[in-house]
Amino acid sequence: MAVLAMKKVNICALKKDRKSILETLQRIGIVEVSNLDFEQKFFCKIDTMNMRSVFEKNSLIAKEALEIIEKYAPEEASFFSGVCVPKEISKKEYYSFANGIDKTMPVANEIVNLYRSINDKNTKINQINKQVELLIDWEKLDVPMNFASTKRTKAFIGTLPQNLDDLSLRELLSELLPDEDRYDLKILNKNDNQIFVFVLCHISVAEKIFEALRTLGFAWPIYITDEIPKIKINSFLEQINELEEQVKFDIEKIKSFKVKRNAIKFIADYYDIRSQKYEIISKLLHTKNVFLLSGFVPEKYAKKLELFLLSKFNIMIEFDDPGKEDEIPVVLQNNGFSSPVEGVLESYSLPGKGDVDPTSVMAIFYYFLFGMMLSDAAYGLIIVAACSFVLLKYKNLKWGLKKALKMFLFCGISTAFWGFLFGSFFGDAIEVISTTFFNKPIIFPALWFVPLNEPMRMLAFSFGVGLAHIFTGLFLQLYELVRDKKFSYAFYDVVSWYFLIGGLVVYMLSVPMITEMLVTNFILPQFVGEIGLSFAGIGALLILFTAGRESKNPFKRFLKGVYGLYGVTGYLSDVLSYSRLLALGLATGVIAQVFNKMGTMAGNGPFGLILFLIVFLVGHTMNIAINLLGAYVHTNRLQFVEFFGKFYEGGGRKFSPFFANTKYYKIKEDICDE
Amino acid sequence: MNSLGLVLALLGAALAALMAGIGSAIGVGMAGEAAAGVVTEDPNKFGKVLLLQLLPGTQGIYGLLVAVLTLIQIGILGGAANVSFGQGLLYLVACLPMAFVGLWSAIRQARAAVAGISTVAKRPDQMGKAMIFPAMVETYAILALLVSVLSILNIPRINI
Repeated sequence: MAVLAMKKVNICALKKDRKSILETLQRIGIVEVSNLDFEQKFFCKIDTMNMRSVFEKNSLIAKEALEIIEKYAPEEASFFSGVCVPKEISKKEYYSFANGIDKTMPVANEIVNLYRSINDKNTKINQINKQVELLIDWEKLDVPMNFASTKRTKAFIGTLPQNLDDLSLRELLSELLPDEDRYDLKILNKNDNQIFVFVLCHISVAEKIFEALRTLGFAWPIYITDEIPKIKINSFLEQINELEEQVKFDIEKIKSFKVKRNAIKFIADYYDIRSQKYEIISKLLHTKNVFLLSGFVPEKYAKKLELFLLSKFNIMIEFDDPGKEDEIPVVLQNNGFSSPVEGVLESYSLPGKGDVDPTSVMAIFYYFLFGMMLSDAAYGLIIVAACSFVLLKYKNLKWGLKKALKMFLFCGISTAFWGFLFGSFFGDAIEVISTTFFNKPIIFPALWFVPLNEPMRMLAFSFGVGLAHIFTGLFLQLYELVRDKKFSYAFYDVVSWYFLIGGLVVYMLSVPMITEMLVTNFILPQFVGEIGLSFAGIGALLILFTAGRESKNPFKRFLKGVYGLYGVTGYLSDVLSYSRLLALGLATGVIAQVFNKMGTMAGNGPFGLILFLIVFLVGHTMNIAINLLGAYVHTNRLQFVEFFGKFYEGGGRKFSPFFANTKYYKIKEDICDE
Repeated sequence: MNSLGLVLALLGAALAALMAGIGSAIGVGMAGEAAAGVVTEDPNKFGKVLLLQLLPGTQGIYGLLVAVLTLIQIGILGGAANVSFGQGLLYLVACLPMAFVGLWSAIRQARAAVAGISTVAKRPDQMGKAMIFPAMVETYAILALLVSVLSILNIPRINI
């Protein structure tokens, strides 16, 4: 349970060592480099933007090349490979790879170019195909398409917008052109709404014929070539064939590069690393011969870092305690039980100055509340099985995912625990199955009680849990104040509330009406209630007279005190908010029951069994999914609003060390035995 | 007279499922449109926006829960259906909080979810916070559910 202590580190070294020092720091990955920005006439900064953009471009080309290879020669990958940590390579392997960069970069470029040319060729093939489609209707024409006339004749090549057969078309024409036979009509082709015709006539009657054709709706073709259509089509097809051959060849060539896949992956990483390094260089201060680096390092690594660097380089290194004005980056360190919920804490806010790291306290409540909301033994066991399967099978999962899985593993255990206490196993599945299929009801016994039968008891229990949660939050506030030696604040702002809320709860437990409502047999004797009430009174008075202690004006002070006391409504709503524990628990149970009931509607025959299995599988899968989401969201809410609201400020900045943020490979450097 | 009680109780159950269901359908639909918009820009955010889309869906489930509890209590799902007029009326009233709050809170929650989706589109790291805003609205659906459920479970004890 702690935020790691940080040290400020300053390193001054010779410029000629800069490359190797920075690369070493990058591989170790435990130093966060600050942007040095003080006005000094000896120092200057280097703008590395241009270099970085070149590196980034190369990295992008490599990544594009990888995608292209992946498209034509997919790598066999398991479902989880995308979420696993990169493969480790040693420093030696890194440098031997790096020497080969000049040879592999052209390969990546070639792959990208090949892919572009494949795309160009495919576009061209499409264009030609469209032309072929236009020409194919004229296939039977045995003169060039732009053929218009000879010395004595005139030709009309075009389409008519009708679906007529040969005979009726001729009849139509002869009606329009009575006593005229100096023309010849040939139907070349037809489809649903067009006929393709070739009309040849004597030059003297050309105009008349054309008029007649126009009345029938004659139109010139859309696409005209100066060759005989059939020949043109053939030459087009040949072109297509040739292009397709080329594309095939290109694809084969790309496929042949799949052996280079790892080398290209390395390029992508290599240029990413260099770009990250140059970003750091722009944060340093330089003179002609030396450079200055300043940053943060976790205290526990400080000594190791010093020894390691001094053993390799000729540098000056010093450590310093961070000052008040420094914004110290935050790293959390917790044990295996509580570190999984660090992600939840982070999604709220990291601890700011003066905050304790609430992770370990929060973890206990997190698992506890989550389990209560889902509260089904079978669901819990399923979650446990699924999470542990993935965790055991894929050992090198990415850090964040691993944490999340661990968190759900613990939540699953808690869910199973509450499920047994509340007698829920797939809802009432055991009872339903035994009654329907074996005619002998077996009831899954609740180790404690069944919330559906005794909702008020569950509600009272939920409020109790809520009070404990809120009081723990207050206690952390107390701890912070005492640690900072603000004893009066601790007394006025925390202890007074303990008196007021605690006293009121004790008093309520001694009032018969309230205990009856909560269906508990537990009732405190009257005098205890009265003691509680007097404590509440003391608390209320304390708040009334101290909540406004910062104001000088007595009237204002009093009003602020009243307002402070009004805060008791906040506590009331906070406690009531825990009724969601009951509601969400019931939701899981009742929906499970609904599915069980639906499953048994077809009786206990073979058909009934099949229906039951289907409904059971689909229904419970859906129920788990939806209630898992609900439990997750509402546990977060109870932590963020009701719990953190009592003590937690947040606003810390995450420690972001200078390290090689790579996609495919991870370079080992042997300094920290983490 | 006996059958009228049953009709009223069933009306209550139907209202709870109906109105809360309508609310959730509208809500999940709204959030889904916003989510689809984000996915066109960045398909990798699918998982995140899907979670946010599902948030306004719970009201429909609560409505179903109240409806089924009522059906079980009045004996429509097996057992003898025997509800007096007074009890039927009580069931109807007991279902109303879930029906109305379910309808309204689902829609309002969906608007918070849509806003959350646009937060995630711009700042995926703020997912945790983006989920909390819609969850705040849901509190009231949960409170309504609680009132409805507690009433329904206790009505058989009342003898009218």
